[in-house]
Amino acid sequence: MKISRLFGRVFYGTTGFAASSPLLLLLLIGGVLLYDAWPAWEYQGWSFFTGISWNMGNMYASGAVTHHGVQAAPGASFGILPFIVGTLGSSLIALVIAVPIAVLTAFGLVYKVPVRASAILSPVIELLAGIPSVVYGLWGLAVLAPFVQNGLGPLLAHLGRIIPYLAGPVGTGLGMLTSGLVLAVMITPVMIAATRDLLMQVPRLPVEGALALGLTSAESVRYVSLPYVRRGVFGAIILAWGRALGETMAVLMISGNANNYLPPNLYSPISTMASTIAALLDSALTDFTGMAVHALALIAFTLLLIAIITNLLARVLLQFGHSEASVEV
Amino acid sequence: MKKTTKGALLAVAATLSVSVIALGQGQGQSAHTMAQSAAHQAKSASKAIDLQETGSTLLWPLFQLWVPAYKHVASNVFLTPSGTGSGVGIAEATQGVVQIGASDAYMSSGQLAQTPGMLNIPLAISAQQIMYKIPGIKASTHLHLTGNVIALMYMGKIKYWNAPQVQRLNKGLKLPHLAIVPIHRHDGSGDTFLFTQFMTDTNAAWANPTTGVGYGTSVSWPAVPGALDGVGNSGVVQIAARTPGSIAYVGISWLNNALKDGMGEAMLQNRAGRFLLPDHATISAAADKMTAKTPRDERISLIYAPGPNSYPIINYEYAIVKETQANVQTASAVKNLLLWAISPKGGNQASFMGQVHFLPLPASIFPLSKAQIEKIH
Repeated sequence: MKISRLFGRVFYGTTGFAASSPLLLLLLIGGVLLYDAWPAWEYQGWSFFTGISWNMGNMYASGAVTHHGVQAAPGASFGILPFIVGTLGSSLIALVIAVPIAVLTAFGLVYKVPVRASAILSPVIELLAGIPSVVYGLWGLAVLAPFVQNGLGPLLAHLGRIIPYLAGPVGTGLGMLTSGLVLAVMITPVMIAATRDLLMQVPRLPVEGALALGLTSAESVRYVSLPYVRRGVFGAIILAWGRALGETMAVLMISGNANNYLPPNLYSPISTMASTIAALLDSALTDFTGMAVHALALIAFTLLLIAIITNLLARVLLQFGHSEASVEV
Repeated sequence: MKKTTKGALLAVAATLSVSVIALGQGQGQSAHTMAQSAAHQAKSASKAIDLQETGSTLLWPLFQLWVPAYKHVASNVFLTPSGTGSGVGIAEATQGVVQIGASDAYMSSGQLAQTPGMLNIPLAISAQQIMYKIPGIKASTHLHLTGNVIALMYMGKIKYWNAPQVQRLNKGLKLPHLAIVPIHRHDGSGDTFLFTQFMTDTNAAWANPTTGVGYGTSVSWPAVPGALDGVGNSGVVQIAARTPGSIAYVGISWLNNALKDGMGEAMLQNRAGRFLLPDHATISAAADKMTAKTPRDERISLIYAPGPNSYPIINYEYAIVKETQANVQTASAVKNLLLWAISPKGGNQASFMGQVHFLPLPASIFPLSKAQIEKIH
């Protein structure tokens, strides 16, 4: 009796702790980052988000400069707008390409492809999802960048007359478009796997009922399966977007790592927030004032904020989407 | 506060490279155990010691040559070098992550004040060349360039290879109307340090303390749309070689790779106005003019030396080492390794130096480096 009560309490305590751990972790990470980033915020203020010049300052200068009560290397100025634009730009390109492909592939796998073929294809997709990003980066550098440089880029540049942002010069293939394409290839398998698992859970009866009523398979997907999985697919997309936002290694290898300007066209070299943190951390550690590290921490905090905001935004959109869906059904 | 930041960011970096480290350790351990059992069989009393070296990708090819050779000198020392950029070399050596940080740049006075007890020990003399990829220019033809013109290219003021400023330096050579694509190092790099010092010495706008770029292992590059960054000398060579119109600064130990990839090597104008390629004669001519000024802590720029035969971009290759090592065994292992490295009969012998186009430490500098190495304990 006593033991069972004790066990109950232990269970209550441990599960309670475990259940609240995601929130605690988020608060802990956010808190530590904000604490570390604070001096950079004091130094730079709002221009951190709107400035386009990133300069860690002259680290071989004889002394530091004091600005708003905090010290930095002379000439230091931290503006991350190009990194924000690069991050959002490349990840949105990835989503635009990956979402339709992933959703259609998942529908195909579940409803169209013979079970045997599906049994072979499904593990392959999970395998693709597990490939380390550095491999995708290398592939992007060796295969995709030359393709964008010589094939896809010049082709798209013809559309430049209609959509000015597509106009050349195409450059070397290292830049936003290639980054977006590689990110698309990286996140597609994740989305397919998640969407396929969701579709497997759609009850068989309504689907068969729809077919029995004379709906085509496209119509049954449209009116039965899709509304059923819509919310979940949205979640999968957000998860994939998060991966694209935070991807570091592959982007570092193929983005061209632009400095101090906003991408003038689709093919321009870019830098993303994650790749910048990874690439500049060691130089930042040689800053004798420590301000460069604080600035990188502020980039990390901003990235966290963007991830949270996109997530919340998606949830709000989902509410709308859901009510529409129920009307249609 | 700074420590927590470093900790947090390093933790992120560590997570990113967990698999790599796991791999490396796996190999290290198996090699370790194999060597240990071999040592047991030989009934040797000496204990195995692991030494980690990281940093400069310019010095890395030399360390690659040294590792197998040093096995014959001290079989119980397991030296693991990695080319990660001088910024990493300095940062990880000051933090005590590695025993030896390699750097083409000496540490700044500000950093030394913050982390006292760090030694900057020259191991050899190296150089840097300016390379380009211009279709139609033969490998035997070396473009003539001045520091000033290169600076204007990197600032986006000269946009095409057939611009009058470039054409004037290369009379009789038909240069194409091809956009210039400046290539930078993205990671913290001693090569960036050397290159930007040369720019600072040769272009007034670059040197301007308030509006100029200045010099350092990592600088804020002028915004030139289309300009690209590579990681490490390998990344720079790879990107520059596949980009028609590119111009890049490359450490001399990567010269062979870059030439093999079809890059051209520029003749640079020195202080005396002559156009030279980096070779044994021009590097040692520059070293002769500069080394006498070397202070006891050996932190000095050798860039843009006077003299008619001096190549303008040469430097000391530094080992960045903490004076106080973790224990006596490690300290003596580091000491012995570095003493062997700078010895004309050891790591500084011509067979190693020639392969990476380095010059051995001048006889006048050897005692200075030796005195610094003796401080390690």
